[in-house]
Amino acid sequence: MSDGDVGNADCDVNFSYILPVVQQTFMQRYFHTSTVVSKVQSGRYKITINRNKPLTYEMANPPHYIAHRKSWNSWNTSNIKDGNRPSETATEDMFIRKFMWGTWPNLFASEVIIKRQHNIIRIAGIITRTLTPYKIYFLIGYTEELLSYWLQCPIKVELVTIDNKKQMIFKYI
Amino acid sequence: MLLLKRGCEVNFIQSLPKTLRFLAAHSSASEPNEQEQFRVLELFPRKKSVMHEKQKTHHINIPPPRSNEMPIDQDWPSVWPGARTFHPASVPLPLRQGYQEKDIAPPNKYANAELMKIPNFLHLTPPAIQRHCEALKQFCTEWPAGLETEEKCMKHFPVEIITSDYCYSSPTIREPLARIVSLRVRISSLHLDTHAKDKLLRLLGNRYNPDTDIITITADRCPTKKQNLEYVRYLLTAVYHESWKVESWEAEKSVADMEYYDWDTSPSRTHLVTLYKWPEPPMDYDYETIPHATEYKIAVSDLINNGEDQYSVNKYKEAVKNLLNLKCDNKG
Repeated sequence: MSDGDVGNADCDVNFSYILPVVQQTFMQRYFHTSTVVSKVQSGRYKITINRNKPLTYEMANPPHYIAHRKSWNSWNTSNIKDGNRPSETATEDMFIRKFMWGTWPNLFASEVIIKRQHNIIRIAGIITRTLTPYKIYFLIGYTEELLSYWLQCPIKVELVTIDNKKQMIFKYI
Repeated sequence: MLLLKRGCEVNFIQSLPKTLRFLAAHSSASEPNEQEQFRVLELFPRKKSVMHEKQKTHHINIPPPRSNEMPIDQDWPSVWPGARTFHPASVPLPLRQGYQEKDIAPPNKYANAELMKIPNFLHLTPPAIQRHCEALKQFCTEWPAGLETEEKCMKHFPVEIITSDYCYSSPTIREPLARIVSLRVRISSLHLDTHAKDKLLRLLGNRYNPDTDIITITADRCPTKKQNLEYVRYLLTAVYHESWKVESWEAEKSVADMEYYDWDTSPSRTHLVTLYKWPEPPMDYDYETIPHATEYKIAVSDLINNGEDQYSVNKYKEAVKNLLNLKCDNKG
């Protein structure tokens, strides 16, 4: 019994010496630091050498200027505090944007602006006059009809036309 | 050697259709321009000229913006009758919107997406609102006679129902918060005696506001507004009739159970009347004939109910002095 006791005591002593050493090596080995990869890049554009990259007003103001220099592209009451169905609204907005991008190929000179007023969805934007007017009228009707069928609410497409996308240029960087 | 030869043949055979297709493509591209001449092999086709021609064909001439031709005395509500996104050619205002870092004017209304984003009130000009009001007047009724002032309204319609409606920019009209119904009624407008009022206030608990004398009953347990409204009305009816009920055990209430000091049932009253009528034994304990008895009653009740402080003790002292007809030095 006495031998056993001694042995246990030895073991305790050994562990009490070894454990901090092991912990220290672990810490030394596995704790390392690196630079924080938190660079914010979305919605920001790099300056070119010749400063000849054209930017629209929307592109010229990065996202942190929303509500200061530019306003939102989606207007609804879902994102206010305690607003209802925020996820559905976001999904529908994304769907509308994708649909507009595909239905009006290479025509939109601005972002697609989606404004919700009660149950009406107003889709606004600036397009170029590359299509003939009757085709534009057809596309307006087509968009309104299909989207109102899918989203089950009245859709209004309210567009402004410009000659050339160069009219949208705000500055060069 | 044989293998290599075969490899070469295979490669050639595979590449042959590609070459042919390449040639065919270029022959078709150059056909409309030079139909009668020989086909020309363009190894680097001039794409730029084709693109330029394409753009040229799609250019559409449009008339100048109609805002230039608008008369200054035009009927604006008929130009812009309803809510609509801003359109630069329809609005004859020299608007500008946007932020410029340099010291120059902000971008004008043409090709300006910022003006299209913000909600506008161009359809709600004062003349337009006046026309709406004129059109709605035929549906209005006269204010009922006898309800001219706020007091009269309160007297004839004491119960106030408070509900909320929510308006969202979404296709759904359902809002869970719209189910909550509050009922407010002034307690003085209810017909209650002392016992009933005491019992009603005990049943209501913190739903009664003693500062404003108003009972507020709120219900949100039912899923719809109508159900909650009915439930609130039921609660008021139930609590009113319950407060008028006198249970048999309520008669067993002794002085020790009283939550406040009632001078009318206290020994203080009997002692006072007995002392006043002495040496005759009192027939009834009527204290109205005793001078300063009411003052004494109020002083004693306040002292015991509200606790002792300098003011109530002094009041009690004065009341006792007056009651016993002692000479009062401090008075005057």
